[in-house]
Amino acid sequence: MSAAIGMEVLKTKGRKIWLVVAVMMAVQLLWAGWAISNKDANDLIQGWMFFLYQFPMLNCIIMPVIAAVVASRLSDVEHKGQTFKLLETIIPAQRIFAAKFIWGSIYMLGAALGQLAIMIGMGFVLHFGGPVPWGALASYLFFTLVVSLTIYIFQQGVSMLVANQMVPMTLGLVGGFIGLFSMFFPQGLQKLILWSYYGVLMQVGMNWDETTRATDFYWTAIDWSGLGLILVFFVLIYGIGRILFVRREV
Amino acid sequence: MSNIIETEGLSKQYGNIYRVKDVDLKVPEGAIYGFLGPNGAGKSTTLKMILGLAKPTEGEIAVFGKRVNSKNRLENLKNVGSLIESPSYYGHLTGEENLRIFQTLRGVPKQNITEVLKIVRLENQQSKKVSQYSLGMKQRLGLASALLGYPKLLILDEPTNGLDPAGISEMRELIQSLPQKFGMTVVVSSHLLSEIDQLATRVGIIREGELVYQDSLTKLHQYSKQHLAVRTMNNEVTKAFLSQNGVAWEAEDDYLIIPQMKDTMMAEISKALGQNNIGLVRIEERKKSLEDIFLELTGTAVSL
Repeated sequence: MSAAIGMEVLKTKGRKIWLVVAVMMAVQLLWAGWAISNKDANDLIQGWMFFLYQFPMLNCIIMPVIAAVVASRLSDVEHKGQTFKLLETIIPAQRIFAAKFIWGSIYMLGAALGQLAIMIGMGFVLHFGGPVPWGALASYLFFTLVVSLTIYIFQQGVSMLVANQMVPMTLGLVGGFIGLFSMFFPQGLQKLILWSYYGVLMQVGMNWDETTRATDFYWTAIDWSGLGLILVFFVLIYGIGRILFVRREV
Repeated sequence: MSNIIETEGLSKQYGNIYRVKDVDLKVPEGAIYGFLGPNGAGKSTTLKMILGLAKPTEGEIAVFGKRVNSKNRLENLKNVGSLIESPSYYGHLTGEENLRIFQTLRGVPKQNITEVLKIVRLENQQSKKVSQYSLGMKQRLGLASALLGYPKLLILDEPTNGLDPAGISEMRELIQSLPQKFGMTVVVSSHLLSEIDQLATRVGIIREGELVYQDSLTKLHQYSKQHLAVRTMNNEVTKAFLSQNGVAWEAEDDYLIIPQMKDTMMAEISKALGQNNIGLVRIEERKKSLEDIFLELTGTAVSL
């Protein structure tokens, strides 16, 4: 397996995939900077909670785009060069699928760590109130990864099965928008949509007073059933994607 | 001589249509087996089934004497190199990097890269991105990938597709040298009769998914030898006369086709027929070209 992963790394040489992740992180940084720029010292007391509320919302659109681009970039080299028919006479198809997933996950981990670094960095620079909520930040990293990897494996499955990469790219964008708008859907419905899980697993809620126009953030309980469901989705999508990839004829 | 590949009743059905039907392929060890057939006849599908890239609907495949199944497929393929339809490559990487990927995955020594690059005469182009290669160079790189593990069996599907005459000739020379140099058995498919004629020692001809001929190329050439076509006033009596005198014949329309023979022998027959009051109407010399035979077997105009 290590050889297969090593070769995935070589295949991405010169493909500038990290650039896509970096650009999306820059967008997230600018967005966070803009969102917090009009907050006064009083608001910054809830700075950590503000970020832990804002970032998952942003992730609904940003992470699916990263997942779609990474999966597509890792798969289109195989379609373009018609390499699956040679690779599958050398190593098992399931190993190709797993190696691509592992290498793609590194990019998703990089993106998740990148946004965590943005949050912590800005928190320290802007002197957010109270102690750093390390536990909530660690949970945030974990939830973001679980949801992102589930979306990524969906994207990878489509990208590896369909040669025309417009299909997975469009699915990724549409999924991101559905995820963003699903914030307004009832919770039961949200849990049926893969891209809405950044919201489902949010650890912070918000009260908005219409008369004073003041916002107040509060900690919410972790939605364990939501976490369980997304893990089930992950296992199902990985399994189905792998079966379809292994069974298809080149 | 044992068979390196042996298929039995190999079939592949897509929907209600059989793309490959009851193919019993027998590839002897050390041969260059030409798998000939018009486009869409089922050559690639057959080769893909042997490589496990397509699942047979019916039939069995044995490679190196072992029956191939999903469990031992990759173990069996360790000694098989392949180039199916078109070369597989990563255009954004150099030739050497491309080979490094397949060499690492195959687990063969790194020095094989340098050696196979030399064999396909790409050693001076190894640092160039493959996207900048010509089609001929890409085909040679594909062949280099297939040769990386010095396999006992090499399966090449239309390796000269899209090449110019010089490229075809170069590729042919390369393939021809492999059995002698490395003791490989080569299966090479093509829709070009002339190519197989110059390359193969044994030939299999496939038509609409069915194997219509399989034997040595020498035997196929024998069919194309000159024959005599004889027409008499009474062919039935002539048939008996020829048989009595040990001359093989074959009826074709109003003619009896007999083997080429010396003039004195033909004069004897002519005289004997006259003595038996059988009027000799016509004697023609006929020659079936290899193309005619191919056309008869495949029902498709040959590509030259």
